[in-house]
Amino acid sequence: MYAFNFAPVFASFDQLLVGAWLTVHLSCAAMLLGLIVSIVCAWGKTAGPFPIRFVINAYIEIIRNTPFLIQIFFIFFGLPSLGLRFSPNSAALLALVINFGAYGTEIIRAGIESIQKGQIEAGTALGLSKLQIFRYVIMKPALRTVYPALTSQFIYLMLTSSVVSAISADDLAAAGNDLQSATFASFEVYIVITLMYLALSIGFSAIFAAVEKMAFKYPLSR
Amino acid sequence: MTINITRRVALALVGAGFIAATASMPAMAQTVESIKSAGTVKIGMLVDFPPFGIMNESNQPDGYDADVAKLLAKEFGVEVQIVPVTGPNRIPYLQSNQVDLLVASLGITEERAKSVDFSDPYAGISIGVFGAADVDMSKPEDLSGKTIGVARASTQDTAVTAIAPQDATIQRFDDDASAVQALLSGQVELIGVSNVVAAQIEAAAPGRFNQKLELTQQVQGIAVRKGSSELLEAVNAFLDKVKENGELSAIHEKWLGAPLPSFIADAN
Repeated sequence: MYAFNFAPVFASFDQLLVGAWLTVHLSCAAMLLGLIVSIVCAWGKTAGPFPIRFVINAYIEIIRNTPFLIQIFFIFFGLPSLGLRFSPNSAALLALVINFGAYGTEIIRAGIESIQKGQIEAGTALGLSKLQIFRYVIMKPALRTVYPALTSQFIYLMLTSSVVSAISADDLAAAGNDLQSATFASFEVYIVITLMYLALSIGFSAIFAAVEKMAFKYPLSR
Repeated sequence: MTINITRRVALALVGAGFIAATASMPAMAQTVESIKSAGTVKIGMLVDFPPFGIMNESNQPDGYDADVAKLLAKEFGVEVQIVPVTGPNRIPYLQSNQVDLLVASLGITEERAKSVDFSDPYAGISIGVFGAADVDMSKPEDLSGKTIGVARASTQDTAVTAIAPQDATIQRFDDDASAVQALLSGQVELIGVSNVVAAQIEAAAPGRFNQKLELTQQVQGIAVRKGSSELLEAVNAFLDKVKENGELSAIHEKWLGAPLPSFIADAN
């Protein structure tokens, strides 16, 4: 029977908290920036001219059909040969934003396409400007429709961020690996960081539920 | 009460007797004479420790250790029989007379010297800090403000962490390959690696990088059974000879891409 010994893990728990903080930091920043990228690309893909649509489609296909680990290696190890050098943490953020952007674009595009033409025409008839139509008539109901899909992609983004330890970014997974190699209590360390990731996921879900209540509480008349 | 000894019980008893006999058999001192009269020397080596011990394309043991083993057999004028062993079982193989010698990248440690007798070093691994040839540094304090890549939890991680000043940044990668990649792409200025990996870097990017600091050294010896002092002397005489005439250095050059380092060549 394996004898658990959590003492060395809790003795260095602050190390794990520092790692968890970076994971939260990285995830939140990547969610916000990724959402902006997604909205812009979704707009471009639904309303832009052909060259823009082509570029956005190429971006989505390349990102969605290659592994995240390779993307992050490409940014961290590959781009320096073109003179673009990022620190491990900024390379991690950039990779997460680019990765999320591709998935987010498709999700939001689906939302935009769910808006009926009549609704947009109603906006025009009311004398709203193009930007107002995009913001109030298209974007808000579109986001409301795809919100569940978007939040599960956000959670997935947070979990995927554990891969960034491969380029020596010091997130929760890296802190766990460091601690594991220092204490040899691998089972205990991985149990603790698993629970920490679980807690982060549940925490983010709770925040997303609160945001949904605040932002999309107007009634639907369908 | 009758004692009913079935065939199975009898067999088990005989088996147990055999195991007891083998286990209590003393490790016999080995002599050059007995090896020469056998006509074959049985040498244990690792086959999963490149470039020291590998299996080659024709599935034969090869590598630095194999070449040393063959050279030693040639010196004794006997056939070589290489017995693949593993890290944990190599000393038991020697102690239980299954091999005559170990040329198995066995690092010379006090702990192991209690179980086997070691020859002079025939190989070694050193760990050092490597960086671009034009970076000027010679002491640990020069690491100040620099970024150093290492493989997480490796010997080099421990060694670099121990000497690096507070304001040096240590970037821990999952393996040596990623750390090397970080050096080649300029993401880190320096890396901590073994001389084995350093030789691979030199092969990939000749002249771009060199060693800045040496951190630790681990020398490896040929091991014989405890008390085989006559055999040990013969092995040491062999090592002196091949160090002198450059044959060992040639093997080192072949497998590690550099001549025999002085910490091995000068150790006696």
